[in-house]
Amino acid sequence: MSLNLPATGVFVALFLFVTWVGFTAARWRKADLNVLNEWGLGGRRFGTVVTWFLLGGDLYTAYTFIAVPALVYGAGAMGFFAVPYTILIYPILYLIFPRLWVIAHKRGHVTAADFVRERFDSRLLALAVALTGIVATMPYIALQLVGMEVVIGALGFPAGGFIGHLPLIIAFVILAAFTYTSGLRAPALIAVVKDTLIFVTIFAAIVIIPAKLGGYGAIFASIPHEKLLLESPSGGNLGSYSAYATLALGSALALFLYPHSMTGILSASSGKVIRRNAAALSAYSFVLGLIALLGYMAIAAGVGKNPAHAAGFAQYGANFAVPALLLDMFPAWFVGVAFAAIAIGALVPAAIMSIACANLFTRNLYKEFLRPDCTDAEEARMAKIVSLVVKVGAVVFIVAIPHSYAIHLQLLGGIWIIQLLPPILLGLFTQRFNGRALLVGWAAGTAVGTYMAAARGFVSSIYPLDIFGLTLPGYAALYAVLVNFIVVVALTPVLDRRGTA
Amino acid sequence: MAGNGKKQGLARYWPRFLLVIPFLLVTWVPFYNRIEPELGGIPFFYWYQLGAIIIGAAVSLTVYWLEVWVTRTTGRGEADLDSSGTPGDIL
Repeated sequence: MSLNLPATGVFVALFLFVTWVGFTAARWRKADLNVLNEWGLGGRRFGTVVTWFLLGGDLYTAYTFIAVPALVYGAGAMGFFAVPYTILIYPILYLIFPRLWVIAHKRGHVTAADFVRERFDSRLLALAVALTGIVATMPYIALQLVGMEVVIGALGFPAGGFIGHLPLIIAFVILAAFTYTSGLRAPALIAVVKDTLIFVTIFAAIVIIPAKLGGYGAIFASIPHEKLLLESPSGGNLGSYSAYATLALGSALALFLYPHSMTGILSASSGKVIRRNAAALSAYSFVLGLIALLGYMAIAAGVGKNPAHAAGFAQYGANFAVPALLLDMFPAWFVGVAFAAIAIGALVPAAIMSIACANLFTRNLYKEFLRPDCTDAEEARMAKIVSLVVKVGAVVFIVAIPHSYAIHLQLLGGIWIIQLLPPILLGLFTQRFNGRALLVGWAAGTAVGTYMAAARGFVSSIYPLDIFGLTLPGYAALYAVLVNFIVVVALTPVLDRRGTA
Repeated sequence: MAGNGKKQGLARYWPRFLLVIPFLLVTWVPFYNRIEPELGGIPFFYWYQLGAIIIGAAVSLTVYWLEVWVTRTTGRGEADLDSSGTPGDIL
């Protein structure tokens, strides 16, 4: 592959523009960025529109845009689980998180662990929440780099070696620099650019590509029949049905427990902003559903048979399907726009994730255990430094370690992060549960979930659960968090009695 | 007192029960795992779920508007929609 010059030109120009936006963001809604509340939460002043762009840019990541259609391209209907998943996140957002916002606002909490610490008066439970958040987020940041790497490779940059990784490293150095200076304001402003580019790209794609391929009917007609639907249950095995439904439900329950989602939510200016966005954010879900269909368009266009893309598929696997489709269907300059949308789509979540990890480390490890009497300025400085360390870690991870490890770890991350549901959900709505019971429940859920993933060799999060002679293949995270809940409910009366005796 | 609080809760929060609709739409997979009826060549499985996104958004929006209306008619501030109103509720 030789370098695609027009596409690369547009790509680099958009990237430079976004860099300028990132640094300018420090002066937007000017405030003292040496306070963590300002650097790490944008002063909790983002209204409905900014929050819509910020959360949209934060939750619908570059990796999603590459991996979801890649899954549809490879596995068919199963990959479409992303759609029910993103439908279910909004009722959950509406019911649970405005309340967390109100409490966090009144008590000055910056992280979920801050809330758990105060609600249950338990430093250990807060530590568990903070560590789970950091460990689950790290591989997620690394995966954003995978998304970026695929489009950089598709532009025709040489793959492999130090030179091959150089564009990625430059992009992350820029990202690290503007996150350091501007904090959450940078991804909030850049998200406006990113989301606009994504909307433009996808609307062009769903009009132009089907027109070239002979319409949606022709696209679906060219898909192998066994890919179009989920496999029906057979014998005592619910097969794809239970896997599909539990993946959607479990992923939806887990999403807003991730530190980067939490940071996006807490930076809103009121609970009302969050409730409005529970409706408005669905626009991105619809776009994601259309992006998923790009996987089928790639099959219909025969990108896998095009010798020009053989090297790309050999290097990146099914993740190359969407870049290959865009290369075949669009003029070069527009390919630059589309690829920039994906690459910038990696910057926004990566920035917010690193800020969220930095907030957790600073508030719940550094201040809690190492420097209880540190000043506000010291706290903010520490967070900025940690955000740099986190990003360097992600780059090293991607450059030095096979990608499959990042993917396996991200799969485990989903199983681990959902274990925060009992402390946060129960903490918000009742006073009835015991902090130590929640800690044991967390440990049990984490252990069971990890065991289930290990039983599948860490390549799949679908665990075939056998009950009463029926096999229910389902998302391990959902099974594990049920174990967590059961332990909490069973242990609370026991530990309460011991506590008062 | 607790019973009274619950009744008030129901009077204020009943619109939230509508939020069960998105779950009903997508968790019963056999209902939509089919090709027919197609819509413009798109199998049911796909257009149904894309449609469910729009219904889900409409449900959230409806609940939001109903709650604004309920808080106005019961003379409460919108701001305390997110707390249950019992003293000591917010930590």
